[in-house]
Amino acid sequence: MIADENGGTVVVSVQHLTVRAKQKKILDDVSLDFESSSLTAVVGPSGCGKTTFVRSLNRMVELTPGLTIDGAILYLGQNIYDPHVNPVMVRRRIGMVFQRPTVFPTSIFENAAFGLRLVGEEISVIEKNVEEALRRSGLWEEVKDDLDRPALSLSGGQQQRLCIARALVTQPRVLLMDEPTSALDPAATQRVEATMQRLKEDYVVVLVTHNVSQAARVSDRIAVLHQGHLIEVGPTAEVLERPRNPLTAEFITGRFS
Amino acid sequence: MASATAGLGTDTAQDLLFDRSFRTRWRLGFDKVIGWVLPLLFLVAIIPILDLVYYIASQALPTLTWTVLTSTNPYDPDALGVPILSTAAIMLFATSLAVLLGLFGGVATAEFLPERAAGWVRMTANMLVGTPSVVLGYFGYFLLVITFGWGLSFVAGSVTLAFFMTPYVFRIADLAYSSIPRPIREAAYGSGARPYQYVLRVAAPIAFPQILNGVFLALAIGVGETAPIVLTTTQSVIFPPTIYSPVTFLTGTIWENFSQPAGSPSLALAFQAALILLVVVVALNILVRVISARYQKRLEGLYQ
Amino acid sequence: MSAATTPHRHRSAGTVAGRIVPFVPALIPAALLLGIVVELLISSKLTNFGLDFWGSNWNPPDHWGIAIFVTGSLLTALPALFFAMAIGLGIAIASTTYLPGWITRFLDPFVDLLAGIPSIVYGIWGYLLVAPFFGTVINPALYNHLGFIPGFGGVAPRADGLGLPVGIFILTLMALPITTLLIRDALRSVPRDLWEAGLGLGATRWETMRHVAIPYGSRGILSAAFLGFGRAFGETVAIAMVLNVVATYPINVYGSTATMASEMFLLLDSAFGNSQYLAALSEMALVLLVISLAVNIIGRRLVARIVTYEVAGL
Repeated sequence: MIADENGGTVVVSVQHLTVRAKQKKILDDVSLDFESSSLTAVVGPSGCGKTTFVRSLNRMVELTPGLTIDGAILYLGQNIYDPHVNPVMVRRRIGMVFQRPTVFPTSIFENAAFGLRLVGEEISVIEKNVEEALRRSGLWEEVKDDLDRPALSLSGGQQQRLCIARALVTQPRVLLMDEPTSALDPAATQRVEATMQRLKEDYVVVLVTHNVSQAARVSDRIAVLHQGHLIEVGPTAEVLERPRNPLTAEFITGRFS
Repeated sequence: MASATAGLGTDTAQDLLFDRSFRTRWRLGFDKVIGWVLPLLFLVAIIPILDLVYYIASQALPTLTWTVLTSTNPYDPDALGVPILSTAAIMLFATSLAVLLGLFGGVATAEFLPERAAGWVRMTANMLVGTPSVVLGYFGYFLLVITFGWGLSFVAGSVTLAFFMTPYVFRIADLAYSSIPRPIREAAYGSGARPYQYVLRVAAPIAFPQILNGVFLALAIGVGETAPIVLTTTQSVIFPPTIYSPVTFLTGTIWENFSQPAGSPSLALAFQAALILLVVVVALNILVRVISARYQKRLEGLYQ
Repeated sequence: MSAATTPHRHRSAGTVAGRIVPFVPALIPAALLLGIVVELLISSKLTNFGLDFWGSNWNPPDHWGIAIFVTGSLLTALPALFFAMAIGLGIAIASTTYLPGWITRFLDPFVDLLAGIPSIVYGIWGYLLVAPFFGTVINPALYNHLGFIPGFGGVAPRADGLGLPVGIFILTLMALPITTLLIRDALRSVPRDLWEAGLGLGATRWETMRHVAIPYGSRGILSAAFLGFGRAFGETVAIAMVLNVVATYPINVYGSTATMASEMFLLLDSAFGNSQYLAALSEMALVLLVISLAVNIIGRRLVARIVTYEVAGL
């Protein structure tokens, strides 16, 4: 474990990450550390590279053809882009939730159990972990009586919380969330945000959001990207009230509601 | 579940990222191997085609002289002049009829039919396309050869083939007209155009490439058909045929000659006819692809 | 897109005829289909051949049992479907997942080209080149090594290779473009989000394909099976040439038999003038037609939308 000056452990360390498409830089020399039990909101105007950034953290960015990735991203000290590391393994420890609920067309249980079934866990272990994950994502009470119901019969907000549970079931340390509430109505958004608040105690959460007020509500820390550069990072309150970079100020005042 | 925080003190990145358990190695290995094995299946498609083309060409070309290709001498049965010209004649007639029926039908469906009825009509067109060609051949035989009394003749064969080709043209005409952008349609009607004016002046130029494509496709499919023709015609050695006379078709030539002894000019004729067919069909298919790629339309949604 | 959405302006102009006439051409396919059915009914004279019709005794002019032909069609089409689906699935998976775009764009046309080759050309190639290969290499190999399995032993396969194996092979090639195309489309219809969600949970490409994409596209895959089967089931000329058509049940895996389509094709000549013979053949044609239509309808209903390629029989 690498401990930084403040005594928290650094779980993920992004070091000079540069992502290029042909000659154009989508991310330019971004360096940032993520500590355990934190929620970092990554914000910025459209096209600033925040989605690319978060997708770099679990090597999903490789799915887009034509990109070159330079720099290193260390997970507990090990570079996940090391040629000996298979992306499949990375994604067990660094989970992801997407913008729209992406439940599979199977039952609630099978959705949640997906990750553990792949590694061949025993059914008793799976059942325990599924229940735990559903509790953590705040969905357990609502679905516990019938886990065999089709996942698609859930509401949008419930589906998204199922996606969160699904990502948690493989016991990741890190949870990446790419605008997870942008497709949800306000009530569902609230439930998911409540889940995020609980999750940040046990996980490293990286939240991409275009909604600055959401960032204000749930995050400990805000990282601001602008055209691929990390222009500002700091505790939430500081960044919002006393931003150091003028571009940050512009962005926030334009979006703050 | 061991909670995520409990793991904090004990697991290291080494364990997690370099998992050497059997199951993991199996999963990753399988994925890798299958990524090499599955593409090899393309060979199941590619090798036969190449083999087939090579074989037909190698059997047809050695004895393929200009005379063989063009002679229409009725006393020289091992020549392609008559089959080629007769095939062209039949295709001309059949395609014209198919285009007439298919175009009118398809445009009418796209323009004048309410959605529900159009759905039914499209379903029947799909069903016709999926009907075995021998059934069409039977239809042509019973209706045209026997009932109408046309006998095994040029006209029976051409019309039967036309019936076979019509649904293909129909579908494409329907699609071409149905996919004319709404704004254009509404602008035309909004300026007071009458239906036939819209169909002919406004929509036709837009739909034309697609429809032309459809015609080429119907041609490619029709020229390769055997059953509808063989069941409704009888071979002839002269060109031109008359309406009620026997007539030759390239596929018919192959059918008549494929079991001839090896090395005989008759068998060579079958191969040569096959080669001509291949060339025509492949050329048409390429043409259709090229036009499609340029106009990027496919049958969608309507033809479910 | 059609009259339901057209402004009504044009309807006020014109007579009753003017309003009816434009509809008429649209009825052409229906008329054609109806015509086929009616004509076949007429020529069959609705002769009731009785239960004998469904029996195995085909012995003109006394018995008209078509069971042999129905079985023959199934014995050729079902194995061909199996192979076409397996290979098509493999190619579609490779195409969508494992191969880079430029390779697939290059290779896909080959599969489509298989569909464009006229069946009689398949037939002559099959009869003169492939069948002898089966006769001298493949069938003896199966016979010698797998002869202990029931059906693979017994009477030795023909030297000229004609029979079920080569028939199934040719039908597989003919059904392959349809299965590959439709399965590929079914897999492509999987939303990118869903695919990435699978990968994001730590699944390999194969696992995501197997547990996420294929289940999602299962209706499309099923539709591929129906339509591929329809193609193989109705194939006439190529089968007539390579199967060594005789109206018996095949004695073993290498045996000769007859399919409905090929028998219909070959016998129409000899039935000339004999109205009972023609009636029997017409009724068989009706059975073939009904089965083809059923398979077609079911296959198409399975998917909300089929992107239909202009392939013969699709």
